[in-house]
Amino acid sequence: MIDFFVGEALIGEEPEVAHIDLIIGKKDSSVGIAFANSLAQPRIGHTPILGVIRPNLPTKPSTLIVPKVTIRNLEDAEKIFGPAQSAVAKAIADAVEEGIIPKEQVEEFVIIVSVFIHPRGKDYQRIYRYNYAATKLALRRAMENFPNIDKVLEEKDKAIHGVIGFRINNLKKPPYLEVALDVPDWRRVEGIIRALPRSDAIIIEAGTPLIKRYGVEVVQKIHQLRPESVVIADLKTLDTGNLEARIAGDATADIISFSGLAPINTMEKFMEECKKIGALSLMDTINVPNPVEILKKLRIKPDIVELHRAIDVEHEEYAWGNIKEIKEICGNVLIAVAGGIRVSNVKNALKAGADIIVVGRAITAAKDVTGATRAFLQEMGVEEVDQFRVMTDF
Amino acid sequence: MSEREAEEESVFHKKLKIKLKEKGKEGRIILLKDYLDYLLRNNKTLPPDFPAFAREIMGLDDREGFIHVKIWHEKSELVEFIKAMNYEYKIDLYD
Repeated sequence: MIDFFVGEALIGEEPEVAHIDLIIGKKDSSVGIAFANSLAQPRIGHTPILGVIRPNLPTKPSTLIVPKVTIRNLEDAEKIFGPAQSAVAKAIADAVEEGIIPKEQVEEFVIIVSVFIHPRGKDYQRIYRYNYAATKLALRRAMENFPNIDKVLEEKDKAIHGVIGFRINNLKKPPYLEVALDVPDWRRVEGIIRALPRSDAIIIEAGTPLIKRYGVEVVQKIHQLRPESVVIADLKTLDTGNLEARIAGDATADIISFSGLAPINTMEKFMEECKKIGALSLMDTINVPNPVEILKKLRIKPDIVELHRAIDVEHEEYAWGNIKEIKEICGNVLIAVAGGIRVSNVKNALKAGADIIVVGRAITAAKDVTGATRAFLQEMGVEEVDQFRVMTDF
Repeated sequence: MSEREAEEESVFHKKLKIKLKEKGKEGRIILLKDYLDYLLRNNKTLPPDFPAFAREIMGLDDREGFIHVKIWHEKSELVEFIKAMNYEYKIDLYD
């Protein structure tokens, strides 16, 4: 049996924006205990108050309002005791009238509502209306168990948190274009990054020469310019696997590469460290005679395998190795292909099973970096995540 | 210059001309201090080439009070800094 329901809603514009978190449950549940404890043990600056429509008229179900922001003075207190308190209380009574909460059960339930009032919020009309709407919406969502898990899984990779301004891209929707920044000149690299179009399909690679010149901290600087982008630290680690992975992770790398020529133990420690720090591991196969054999020996598998086409065979239509077999061995792995990729052979690479197309000088040395990148994205058939969705349905 | 370098030189770089606030070594030190001040006050990660940039600035000749710095984008951090700190500047295509 469900002990309680949880709801959340954000309504309005700053600084009066209303953000409601609430919990509703039976009096004999954990919510009832929390209700009584909170009322009996007020905390300085966060004193819980009963929700009243007006003085001497408490709402039903009985509701406790808890200010999220510390009340520092009478002006702050007035906003909670005035517009916020009455708005929350009225919304709950209206929710009963509208059948969101069954009328016959109002004496069984209690509600705890956490209310956000920005100290700069001045307009009582807006505070009242926003908090009324947000409380009713949060209550409806709580009683409907909104969002269900399918909705969460559907939306999690599309959502951008308003405060952070970007989302973590976990590479679930290939194909991707990896722009390899091997130019060991920061100002030039900065120019290239600023000229890259904004797209979820672009991965930025801090190439080995760039990292060797400036150190892995260059990754953090790239993230400062493009917070939303996935950035690879192309370390090509051969030794001290866990240490190097940790250093790159501390510098905010999303993907960290190791060499497939490293000892098996080093590779495994590297991948374990990547999992610990929440980064993806990439096995680079430059000069690895038989990547398939190495992958078979590994107890844990990399998240990405990067295959290189030798320069001697770049003229051949396809020469990246057995992508199908690698995917069978590694399961849920992404395959990146590099080496002489031009717009004209992108489709061949994708047809062969590549998930990530690695492009270097065809973009970084182009006179029109933006145009060259767009040409690759277009050939890859990439669309922005939700570029056609005007507004969410909630 | 190798063929590869020559090709890279033909790309889209520009020249940022910055008027120093004082002449000589002192003006260059003020510029570097201002840049560091701007980066730290705005919570920006230091550019990875900062040591090389400092050497470059100290070694550049000035031409009629301006020093010429190579940039690759008109919205680079260096240009943002120059604007924010009210330096007189011009941006030209590299000649």
